[in-house]
Amino acid sequence: MSLVFDLLLAAALLWSGGRCLSVDRLDRAIVLFIAFGLLMALAWARLAAPDIGLAEAAIGAGLTGALLLDAYGVVKRRKA
Amino acid sequence: MNGFDLAIALFLLGNLIVALLVAARGPTSADRMLMALLFGSTGTGILVLLAQAMHIPALVDVALVLALLAAIGGVAFAKRAWQGDGHD
Amino acid sequence: MTELIMPWISGALLIVGAFFYAAGTLGLLRFPDVYSRLHALAKADNLGLGFVLLGLALQAESVAAGLKLLLIWPLALAASAGVSYAIARRADRLGVKPWRKGSP
Repeated sequence: MSLVFDLLLAAALLWSGGRCLSVDRLDRAIVLFIAFGLLMALAWARLAAPDIGLAEAAIGAGLTGALLLDAYGVVKRRKA
Repeated sequence: MNGFDLAIALFLLGNLIVALLVAARGPTSADRMLMALLFGSTGTGILVLLAQAMHIPALVDVALVLALLAAIGGVAFAKRAWQGDGHD
Repeated sequence: MTELIMPWISGALLIVGAFFYAAGTLGLLRFPDVYSRLHALAKADNLGLGFVLLGLALQAESVAAGLKLLLIWPLALAASAGVSYAIARRADRLGVKPWRKGSP
């Protein structure tokens, strides 16, 4: 069962990473990036590395996501 | 009980992946952001279950941080990024 | 006696939590507008996580570990309420109309 879990997690990671790079709209890419960071934190947790998982959850999924959303708002306001 | 915890975690992961596949083509930007918030809460649940199943208590701290920072992302979206209707 | 029935109670609580997660995901995919989707998200956030944490706290080795698990719940409640309020207010400010019966 843990093998199924790991394979599903790896597939979702690859899919969300590739989709995040290939999608054409900026806001979709940001949401996919947040999802990617979260899945990455889960992957670190599965690899029994809670410290890296903590950093990934805090920086990758949380702060970078919020900063990217903020930057996206600024870019859109400037364009309008 | 470990196998059972892992089974529930697997079920939640399946949930999350279904939401991810649909979120990629969601209709408005608000819906996609709500998906990101759902990922945060489901991820918290999965991490807590993994902490119990793998006997790593430190994973509970990761779950705690994830629950907090998903909220920060949501507030940043509502306050800064979301302007105009569903076309952007 | 307690050792005998505790795993069953814990397992039942975990299954109820997983059910609420599934219901929240389904609602988020199927509901018609932002406000009702927020409602579905709050179910997954509050009840799903709450039941899962309660079920795991019953399995915890020590009282301190169980209480720490349970302490995640008020935090998630506060965060979910704050985010839902911010998003709903922003949607209202942007002029998103609530869905009514009969509208597409």
